[in-house]
Amino acid sequence: MRYNLMLAWHGLRRFPRSTVLAVLTVAMGLAATMTTLALLHQLTADPLPGRSSHLYLAWVDTVHAKPQQNQSLNEITVENYHRIKLGDARELLHDHRAAWQAAMASVFTELTGDGEQPRHARDYVLATTGEFMPLLGVSLRSGRGWTPAEDAAHTPLVVIDSEMAQHLYGTTDVLGRDLKLGHGVFRIIGVSVPFRPQPHFYELAAFGFGDRRRDEAFVPLSALLDAGVDLAGSDGCDEDAPKQKTLFGTDAIHCASLSYWVDLPDRRQAADFLAYLQHYAENQTSLAGYGKPAHAELTGVGTWLSKQNVVPDNVRLNAWLAGSFLLLCMANVAGLLAARFLRRGAEIGVRRALGAPRRAIFQQHVFEASMICLIGGALALPLTLFGLWTLRLQDSGFTDLARLDPAMFAALFLLALVVGVVTGWLPAWRASRVEPGLQVKSA
Amino acid sequence: MTHFAPILAALRRHRLATALIALEIALACAVLCNACFLIVGQLRMLHVESGVDESSLALISLGCDGCKGTDLNARVTTALRAVPGVQSVAVVNAVPFADHAGYAGVTLDHEHYIAVPHFYSGGPGAVEALGLQRVAGHAFQPEDFQVAENWLPKNTSVWVTRAFAERLWPGQDPLGKEFWSDTYHFRVIGVMAHLAPPDPGGGHGDSAGEWSVFAPVTPGDSLHGVYVLRASPAELPRVLREARDAAQKAAPEAVLNLPQSRTVPELRADYFRQTRIMVGMLAGVIVALLLVTALGIVGLASFWVQQRRKQIGIRRAIGATRSDILRYFQAENFLIVTAGIVVGVVLTFGLNLVLMKFYEVPRLPVYYLPVGALALWGLGQLAVLAPAMRAASVPPVVATRSV
Repeated sequence: MRYNLMLAWHGLRRFPRSTVLAVLTVAMGLAATMTTLALLHQLTADPLPGRSSHLYLAWVDTVHAKPQQNQSLNEITVENYHRIKLGDARELLHDHRAAWQAAMASVFTELTGDGEQPRHARDYVLATTGEFMPLLGVSLRSGRGWTPAEDAAHTPLVVIDSEMAQHLYGTTDVLGRDLKLGHGVFRIIGVSVPFRPQPHFYELAAFGFGDRRRDEAFVPLSALLDAGVDLAGSDGCDEDAPKQKTLFGTDAIHCASLSYWVDLPDRRQAADFLAYLQHYAENQTSLAGYGKPAHAELTGVGTWLSKQNVVPDNVRLNAWLAGSFLLLCMANVAGLLAARFLRRGAEIGVRRALGAPRRAIFQQHVFEASMICLIGGALALPLTLFGLWTLRLQDSGFTDLARLDPAMFAALFLLALVVGVVTGWLPAWRASRVEPGLQVKSA
Repeated sequence: MTHFAPILAALRRHRLATALIALEIALACAVLCNACFLIVGQLRMLHVESGVDESSLALISLGCDGCKGTDLNARVTTALRAVPGVQSVAVVNAVPFADHAGYAGVTLDHEHYIAVPHFYSGGPGAVEALGLQRVAGHAFQPEDFQVAENWLPKNTSVWVTRAFAERLWPGQDPLGKEFWSDTYHFRVIGVMAHLAPPDPGGGHGDSAGEWSVFAPVTPGDSLHGVYVLRASPAELPRVLREARDAAQKAAPEAVLNLPQSRTVPELRADYFRQTRIMVGMLAGVIVALLLVTALGIVGLASFWVQQRRKQIGIRRAIGATRSDILRYFQAENFLIVTAGIVVGVVLTFGLNLVLMKFYEVPRLPVYYLPVGALALWGLGQLAVLAPAMRAASVPPVVATRSV
């Protein structure tokens, strides 16, 4: 074993030119693959580590309308974010069958500070209910959240994040000050740490990545509706709804416009909750006559993200191409190694004639191939970092996420080793088949 | 002419290395053809015709909750017209490469929705300000501009793009034709050569991205907050800066949407940033790929030359010329690359099928293959040149030495 390692090391130094060539080829292949994989890994990462594994999106379809006939109109799918109507959200909140739960909708609206010369901003505000903090893990810098009682009383309160507070009031010490939303005045009761899950999994109606899109304040849903702020968009409205005021306004009572997220710590509770939800859907007598089966779903965060195609196609496409490229580099290195090992036929013959088993020859050559790939892996690291750095320069929403975390770093070396063994396998096997007699004769 | 028989006999002794190089060529062929195809597709996207005079246009976008549209329009347009260098100002709902205003499905029979165009709307002067090119029909008359309650007037005379007219009424004259969207009724009175939707290629059905409708609307509650202004290209950046300030002063209660209030060339560059990254990446992959393939060929050929020095010497000693030796190695490389390309054809279409299945990639045109094959043959010959020259310079006297 040690002797074989030593021989492999010697083998590397015998033909320095082709060794350098092989190492460079491996490094390029690995760097290209790792660059795209690191980006892909970041984009498919857990948005709320440790928390999202037990978060679920609950959905019951109670919209008074026929099931969507033309789900796809020349390849445009009708939006479906699994949202529910306000009435259902209130019922579910009242029953309180999950550990934590909250209804939410992200609304783009105007925020106005107080004082003589109020500052404005237009940004996203999350209309939600009291338990959003423990549910999503939003943390406070000062102040408090709001209670279910305040939710029920439609009290105009707001929790604002520190950056927005700085922008509107020039300070983060804003407890007790007023914030105008719609035609209502909301009292600030809490200042939160900016909440930036990547991707923005609980509200995918806008592009899910990047820093440009986050909710800057959290407001009780009922109070915000009272202030005349419309929820944006819906997954469909009741056919028997009264005439809408505007074409684009969303009537929360009759339109499915709220995402309902729940926290269910273990599988059994998840199963119980789904059963309860299905039961709830079956009891919706008003749905009779719309030709829809009672339908309830519970979707985990990971499933939800893949269902909504959150990762841009371009990234996956690049990963495919980079993978093909790595394969090509491997074929290349394997070809080089095969030629190189077989040139040493004479030495192999001598070793075999002196009693070395085939296994030893095989081992020696696999070691040699693995060393080449490990050195290539070490070289691929700076190349990968360079690749990610150039990606980050591009600033296009998601590329600023291109970083190499320790897990990917380990994956790089594992990949290098696997590539080495796989690449070395064939040529090493071929080398170990050398017939000793013939070689010794001709030498 | 070189005889291939001895070459094949020699290659048979190096089956593994030969197969690996051929495999590498096959993979290179697959990736090369598909990557080039993707690049061409992306480049076509980058050069989409917007149909407006981009270089002399800028956008001012204001957000204003609970503002009176008519009053806001009056104040802002007056202020913008006062900016020195502004040639014209119009109220619109969107321009190409800005945020889109509204896609809506249209129907010809109230039953089947057959296409989803983007609906542009604009006030008086918008057509002239944008520089829309009409190829048939007639201009909008003052009476065509009506007040819309929420989206568009209930019955509107519109212009459509040629591509969209062709989609709705293939081969017919679209002028005077009617279509509906929900309860809204439209009559075509003009045809535009081009007008790209705000997000061309944004997955809205038509990949050519030219399904647009332009509707005249009297600015007011349903049309306010987005203003297009026209100035000479040289002055545009300055005009935009001053226009932003002017708009803020004229409507202090509104919030200027800074990312949208830019010149149209800037908006375009921004819109296509991702596409450009993609093109850069693909080009990088192609260059790296060719480089690696060439290096592999060089490495292997050098090895073989070293290994066969004695045989080459013998051939030279019994009368082969240098060019014979040179041609031998070139022919050998040609054979290996050809074998690789044969396998590569299958792999190329295989990869293309995978991409077609998972991503909206069209089918690879067949003519990419001969081009790819030529490129690889050329690459192979170039790569093998140096080792072959070295082989040709082996002196015949080597034959007399023992190894």
